[in-house]
Amino acid sequence: MASNSQELQNLVNYGLVKAHVAMGLIFFIIVATMGFLYSLQLDGIYPFTGIEFLSPGRIRMIHTAGAAYGFLVNMFTGLLYWAVPRFTGYRILSDKLGWFMFFALQAAVLITVIGVLFLGMADNVEWGETPWWLDPIIVFWLLLHLMQFGAPLFKASQRGPLYVSGWYISAMLIWTPLVVFMGNMIPRFWAVGSGAGAVQSTFIHDLVGLYVTPVAWGLMYYFVPVIMKKPMWSHGLSLLGFWGLAFFYPMNGVHHFLWSPIPMFAQYSAVFATVAVEFAVTSVLINFMMTLRGSAEQLKYNVPLRYMYTGAIFYWITCFQCAFHVTLTFQKVIHFTDWVTGHAHLIMFGTFGLWVLGMAEYIWPKLFRKETMYSKGLSEGAYWLLMIGVLAMFFDLTAAGLVQGFDWIGLNPWIDSVNFSKPFWYFRSVAGIMMITGLLMYALNFWKTATAKTGLSAELRAET
Amino acid sequence: MGKMERFSFVALVAGILFFLFADFISWALPMFVLKDIPKKSVEDLAAEAISRNSTAWSDFKKLARYYPETFKKLCQYEEAFSGAKKIPENECKPNGKTLAKALRIGHRWYVAEGCWNCHSQMIRPVSNETLRFGIPGVSNTVSYPSEYNNELQAPVLWGTKRIGPDLIREAAVHNVGWQVAHLYNPIYTSPGSNMPPYPWYFTKDSKGNIVPNERGFGLLTYIMWLGSWEVKPPKDFRINIKASNSAKVEENGNKNLAEAK
Repeated sequence: MASNSQELQNLVNYGLVKAHVAMGLIFFIIVATMGFLYSLQLDGIYPFTGIEFLSPGRIRMIHTAGAAYGFLVNMFTGLLYWAVPRFTGYRILSDKLGWFMFFALQAAVLITVIGVLFLGMADNVEWGETPWWLDPIIVFWLLLHLMQFGAPLFKASQRGPLYVSGWYISAMLIWTPLVVFMGNMIPRFWAVGSGAGAVQSTFIHDLVGLYVTPVAWGLMYYFVPVIMKKPMWSHGLSLLGFWGLAFFYPMNGVHHFLWSPIPMFAQYSAVFATVAVEFAVTSVLINFMMTLRGSAEQLKYNVPLRYMYTGAIFYWITCFQCAFHVTLTFQKVIHFTDWVTGHAHLIMFGTFGLWVLGMAEYIWPKLFRKETMYSKGLSEGAYWLLMIGVLAMFFDLTAAGLVQGFDWIGLNPWIDSVNFSKPFWYFRSVAGIMMITGLLMYALNFWKTATAKTGLSAELRAET
Repeated sequence: MGKMERFSFVALVAGILFFLFADFISWALPMFVLKDIPKKSVEDLAAEAISRNSTAWSDFKKLARYYPETFKKLCQYEEAFSGAKKIPENECKPNGKTLAKALRIGHRWYVAEGCWNCHSQMIRPVSNETLRFGIPGVSNTVSYPSEYNNELQAPVLWGTKRIGPDLIREAAVHNVGWQVAHLYNPIYTSPGSNMPPYPWYFTKDSKGNIVPNERGFGLLTYIMWLGSWEVKPPKDFRINIKASNSAKVEENGNKNLAEAK
């Protein structure tokens, strides 16, 4: 065991993993708080009214851009530093590069916060609110990212076919710089109007589908078999799932702007591609569920595994919902309403958020040479608060969306739809309190695990 | 199968080929289809507003008349990020230059405040939106591509959520007084609204009244410009009839009558 972990320690840079995961968690808490503040504004009880630099509109942009670049990129990069060397058997390109990239990423997020809150330099690209002069630097960072993780993947490819996680991550490494360049530069400098709208919608969805999703699934395909100590159920379904995603997902983007002045052929192709992706997603879910068969009792005591399967189920719900609500008919009612916000939070928090939290909780004790997390109570409590909180938010906002959509069709005065939505917005704040409390419990557990001298939960030790 | 599972194959086929194909269908081909629509600069938009005597122009003149101190300060105001430069005193009156400057400043702060996160700027041909936004019979057309082909929609401001109403036909809906009061504190005009107040776009003038500052002036100009290209321009009802121009006035009057029919 000792020599094995020594080898692994040479393979994996523990420092980089710890740094990125810790910053990712800190940003997660910060952006969740930003979201909660925004929710308070909609409830009419915003605590910083009249202060320009804490204006709710700007806070909201910190929430979205911060969730993308501060939270997800940090968490994912940390988890990639753990997983990629392990399933390829090769080190990342360079440790020094890794530390440079770490500090550059935190600087980019800090600059974005300052630029948006204090300097009024936000960009009007959804999920690309980073100031436009920062975007080329982010693209450059992503090229470094490609080299850093591409090196072990490329070397492993020389020896033989890559494990499924490798396909997802390889594709992601190429896609991400292209997508970020496309979405931030083209609508500003080369396109206007409907063309720019088409680019922007492709960007929003490609960031989810070509960065977040492949990293997340790549990590899932690694962690789930490792935790359950059994292989994935089907290689064929893995292939189908990956190539289905790779072909159909990039074309989804225009579904963000249906019924807009974008030419209809692009809109129809987006709807078709979105429904097609749902089939690819279903094949992936079948694979994971069949892998679980026979080992389901592990979900009872293994919290990281539970996070992963909860997220997987929420993922399927979101994509299934999407296959229906992407149709032009459904869009008449739900576009611009809170239904979409509920959908977005179920996937971003309920799936990707829970996944990274589960994976981080799995690796965190190992990073600090502890056998288990510090406290089972905190571990379980965090899971249930987070899970119930996001589910409550989802049901709440989905209902709110229907109320708003039909109210608008009914030509009630606008203020009526605002007043009808207020109970839903109050409830959403309550769900937000649950989610933030869960995150704080989770963070406390992390802190204690990292700093405890011995501190092992006897209950957890008995179960691992 | 083995070859498909290697880095180079995945990177080339999935990473590049599939991505380019999807981009082609999603936006490159649409851009090509729409390529003949001219792109207008802010100066073009200002010139258009003046030549058509749109409500954006008349509202801008009203703002200049109601808030002369702020208008003077607007000419002096400089802001690198939106390209706003000083305008010399002899040109500091409502004209194409000052209107363009106000639009630039207003657009910049509309984006900076994230107004586009709560207010959309796209009317869809469904869900009775044409009846709700704008004024039926005056400005109720569905959003069309050429109205977004300008510098102020690069990137587009179509929006993602409607917590507040759509603004792309706003010019037809509210007058200057309403806009000023609403921006300062939305509850003054819309009780129950959950839009935040924006007092930092206002200042006190020399008499102690609350007036828009330079940024506020620009923001109000921009908001009242939205949709003004769709609104039928107001006919100036104050006509100066002299012997020298009575024939012209009668000719104009007949033309107006014919148009109104």
